[in-house]
Amino acid sequence: MKFVVLVKGVPDFRHGHVKFKEDNTLDRGQTPTVLNPNDHLALQAALESKVKHGGDVHLISMGPPNYKRIITEAMSIYGDAGVLCSDIKLGGADTLATAYTLAAAINKIGGIDIVFAGFKSADGETGQTGPQVAWKLGWPVVTHVTRLTIDEANRTFTAERFVYDEVEEVTGPLPAVIITDPGFRPVYTKASHRLKHRDLSEDAKARAETSLDAIPVWGFNDLGCAEDTVGLRGSPTIVRVVEPIPKAPSERTALLLDGTKDNDIYEAARVIVQKMGAS
Amino acid sequence: MSKGTYRDMWVYAERKGEDLSPVAKEMVSEARRLMDKYNLDYKANERVIVAVLGHKIDKAAKQALEYGADIVIQLDDPELEYFRLEAYTHALYGASIRAAGWDYDKPRYFLFPATHNGRDLSATYCAEAETGCASDCNKLYIEDPPIKHRFKTGGNELVLERILHMKRPDFSGFEWSTILCIDNPDKDFHPQTCSVIPGSFKVTPITGRKSEIKKPAVRLTSKQLRVKTTSRKPVQKLDLTRYDNIVALGRGINDDPTKGFQLGVELARQLDAGLGLSRGVITASYDVDASVKQYLDEVRQIGETGQTVKPKVYVALGISGAIQHKKGMDQSSFIVTVNKDPETPIREFSDVYIVGDIFEVVPKLAAAIEATRGKKP
Repeated sequence: MKFVVLVKGVPDFRHGHVKFKEDNTLDRGQTPTVLNPNDHLALQAALESKVKHGGDVHLISMGPPNYKRIITEAMSIYGDAGVLCSDIKLGGADTLATAYTLAAAINKIGGIDIVFAGFKSADGETGQTGPQVAWKLGWPVVTHVTRLTIDEANRTFTAERFVYDEVEEVTGPLPAVIITDPGFRPVYTKASHRLKHRDLSEDAKARAETSLDAIPVWGFNDLGCAEDTVGLRGSPTIVRVVEPIPKAPSERTALLLDGTKDNDIYEAARVIVQKMGAS
Repeated sequence: MSKGTYRDMWVYAERKGEDLSPVAKEMVSEARRLMDKYNLDYKANERVIVAVLGHKIDKAAKQALEYGADIVIQLDDPELEYFRLEAYTHALYGASIRAAGWDYDKPRYFLFPATHNGRDLSATYCAEAETGCASDCNKLYIEDPPIKHRFKTGGNELVLERILHMKRPDFSGFEWSTILCIDNPDKDFHPQTCSVIPGSFKVTPITGRKSEIKKPAVRLTSKQLRVKTTSRKPVQKLDLTRYDNIVALGRGINDDPTKGFQLGVELARQLDAGLGLSRGVITASYDVDASVKQYLDEVRQIGETGQTVKPKVYVALGISGAIQHKKGMDQSSFIVTVNKDPETPIREFSDVYIVGDIFEVVPKLAAAIEATRGKKP
């Protein structure tokens, strides 16, 4: 079978990595870029499908040329091949324009059975790109997937999804777009699958380190999109202004204590026990 | 399409069972406020149109009238009993365009709830309508901004009319972006669409308003119904609201996330408290030891997009108190914070603020609590 995983580079939001400008807005230039955390699960889902059904996993990302690094980072989890969509005409895209671009790349690879994507990117957090890619492909999409089974013979999938307080099981035809939930867990019950998973994971790590130069870059001309559907021009939305969220007025007056002083620690403990009203 | 006709503000009203969900009431109320001002400002007569989808949903449809809807579009069909993304998208889109009998091509504005299903539906509706969506907004207003944009205004500054300003907190709530959805000269992008965070707007009941419920027929093709639900069962969710006290961890555990989790879990156990997490801990994707991995779970998130708790005592460890977190815990009776930075937003709504490294303070605090309890008669 043939699988695609959509991966994205996002600012590294870990404390100490993220940098701010003087006006307290995010300094993207100074903050390192990493693979979107939720994409790890989409990659795991694709790897699980490959272990059980064989085939190839293609990674697609979109961004500036140095985002090839994001693809190799993703490849260290799993990927047989990767491609970066990068072009000045594709830049500045919002979710709709991104969906057109990614759908074109998926169609260009061709013959895909399942596209996997993670739940929301850590930066935009819109959660829109995955469903919109499905829409532009004309394929069914299932979000919040925690478990996936594929029926190759009947060309269908069965997905367990977790929304609100319910677990739902849904079925639909392939090809399809599957958006993994943060609670997605691959299931390897057979020993042969566990061995294959281990071997493929090891191969992937070894291959990722040497694959950077081999990753092709597809530009606007390679994708065959209409110019008014992609990039800044194809984006319905613009960001008018970014501002720090205004500081709220003080609501409580905190008793300020010094954590290095034993007396202060005891005072805190006394108040906590008192307010808990417990013995 | 270019130079089309657009009118009205549409709201997709989510249900909870047979009732309208709380966020739906908030959205209809806000839509009423926005369109009352709009009609005054532009001397217009545009309406608030609320779409309710499902099966046997008369009660929810009627409720929408109580918050200021001019028209409720009730899309009632057995196939729509439960939320199904493709079917709901096609039914909703089909009901909102000229072909459904409106005197305009598409709605001018559209509001969706930023819930799991509402977000998905906003994405696919906008993909079908070929328009833009600002997700997770918490402030909306309509005005005529001066805009200079390479494509939208050909690089010139132009004053554009009736633009919905959609403000969203980005990056775990540190930044606030204002998103606009604007036509290109040769291509329209309508409706101007957003999803709104539950709890952002006040619910305002309205009585005596002239309004009506319409029940257009729902026609769906087998292709639009190709994804089928085969089973549905309720699950026990981790409910932090049932705890009297909460211990919550933030990015302050960064130096040693495993140790941070151990400290949090132990303190929570000692206080018989629930363990909560800030959004920052979820997005940081820490690689913690297997012994504490079960606790690094999005279900424990407290805040705007997680759970809202009001415990007797809330102990915030290494949490800076971004607005997104604040919304989920600032109604706690008593808030105790440990943070090595003496100046953080959470200090403004803490009752006790211990300046210090959580890795040093928490073990000492745990021992002091034990000693204090021992002294009690």
